[in-house]
Amino acid sequence: MIRLRQLVRVALLSAEMGLRHAATDAFVIFAVFVQPLIIAVLGLFMLRERGGDYGMFVVVGSGLTGLWSSLLFVSGNAITTERWTGTLEVLVGMPTPLWVVVLGKNLAHVLQSLGSMVLAYVAASLLFGYPLTIAQPVPFLISLVFIVISFVCFGLLLSPLFIVNPDVQRFQNGLEYPIYILCGFLFPILLLPGWTNPVSYALSPYWAARALHAAAAGEATAASLALDWGLMLALGAAYIALSAFLFKRLLDKARRDATLGFQ
Amino acid sequence: MNAIKVDDLHRTYTVRTGIIRRSVKHVVAVDGISFEVQPGELFGLLGPNGAGKTTTVKMLTTLLLPTSGTASVAGYDVVRQGQQVRQRIGFIFGGERGLYWRLNGYDNLRYFASLYHVEPDVARRRIPELLELVGLEDRADEKVEGYSRGMKQRLHVARTLLHDPEILFLDEPTIGLDPVGARQLRQVIRDMQQERKTILLTTHYMFEADALCDRIGVIDHGKIVALDTPEGLKRHVSDLSVIEVEVYGIPPETVDQIRNLPFVDTLAVEDRDQRQALRVQTPRGSEAVPDLMASLNGVRVGRVQVREPTLEDAYVRLVSGVDGSG
Repeated sequence: MIRLRQLVRVALLSAEMGLRHAATDAFVIFAVFVQPLIIAVLGLFMLRERGGDYGMFVVVGSGLTGLWSSLLFVSGNAITTERWTGTLEVLVGMPTPLWVVVLGKNLAHVLQSLGSMVLAYVAASLLFGYPLTIAQPVPFLISLVFIVISFVCFGLLLSPLFIVNPDVQRFQNGLEYPIYILCGFLFPILLLPGWTNPVSYALSPYWAARALHAAAAGEATAASLALDWGLMLALGAAYIALSAFLFKRLLDKARRDATLGFQ
Repeated sequence: MNAIKVDDLHRTYTVRTGIIRRSVKHVVAVDGISFEVQPGELFGLLGPNGAGKTTTVKMLTTLLLPTSGTASVAGYDVVRQGQQVRQRIGFIFGGERGLYWRLNGYDNLRYFASLYHVEPDVARRRIPELLELVGLEDRADEKVEGYSRGMKQRLHVARTLLHDPEILFLDEPTIGLDPVGARQLRQVIRDMQQERKTILLTTHYMFEADALCDRIGVIDHGKIVALDTPEGLKRHVSDLSVIEVEVYGIPPETVDQIRNLPFVDTLAVEDRDQRQALRVQTPRGSEAVPDLMASLNGVRVGRVQVREPTLEDAYVRLVSGVDGSG
């Protein structure tokens, strides 16, 4: 029986190796650091003309865009990438469950992406002279921890989903902006048609964005934070359960159809 | 208890072609093979490309589900008890892939050790030992992308020994290696054999099977056509001699004529640039040389040699379907 301690160790080492690996990947560098910076600069330009204090909203929002882009492209393609490098067969033939490896890699991407939020913060502060203050720093930092958990779980769902249903992967690029919009990264979802709201509520990044924006602006209450954090955890648990089912289905199918490796 | 037991194992692949008029084809890769491997034995699966060697290894390493039949490794069923099997085996598939090229050799091993649940203090002790065993101790801190093919293969060997497995599956481990690299790797396999590991080795190099294996199963078109010790397999052709004739530009119809001569048991043709080497197995030995020369119909002839049969000749005879017993 594999012990939890062993799985945690594998996940952490997988995260470490993921970070080392990604440090040499130009696309990851772009998705995590350059793209959110561009979005932050554009957002800050637009909001400066409009007046008001939106700096922190943009910083948080652009950081979350970096997180989502990294998850969508890197975690979403995690299994495909392992297959192309020939390591998928090696991983599947080992005693560690594959989802633990992917979970560790997602953790690496999420931690890396938090760096993009810091970058946007620096850009807003130095280039645009916005006074950047986090109104409720403790709830903000706790929210960040919940966000790491929530995004790691969300990413865990993407890899097997993209493999089990290749049609989803075809629309991978098209999934980037709808999530920015549906999750309220850069503007509140109140501006969207009402019928889209249930979709937003089912996505844990929406609750992550809500908690961060509220804590940054000083609008978070105990009740709102409890709701946001609780739903991040609940949805995270649901994503893990669903991904466990998809991972099992994926591996059964791959063993049956001989698609673990490219011959 | 057998280390590996395979009983009437089948594997069929489904191949779909066409977009509008889709057709489905079933390709039989493994067709009812059965064999057993004893603990500490080095068992070879020898066969041409596409014979079913890799498919067999993938089923035994739980990477592929059999279509029917059963197989157990270390006493555990490969379908129902895959997790137990995976904890007790190591495997290598030929080629350079399967490593993280942007990480260095040491980090690759450190990562794979954790995936095999090797305790960190054990891994810290074992990784340098294995790097020394495979001769990579001086290159361990370099990225794998800079390694030669042979170095990558040796890193694979180190990877597969991290958790000290009972049973090893080595699928064409020396394929594509230069002679020096292949020799080094064979020495590593011998070292593992000395440690009484059970090893299933697949190869299509005859001399490799002859030099390393205790017993060999010859597989062709998904079936085991012979199973014996290397010496036992050579006895399949002990009644024959081999005439090797070097020819230049022999037409296919002449090859067919020779194949049909009454004294020719089997005929193999090997292309060597501008030349071809005809390898004729015959019970008549050197007496058959004049008749053979006469049947070449004026084709330019180079060196002619009559020799005793080797394992390769036994293999050629077996996969040519002349001797299907075994």
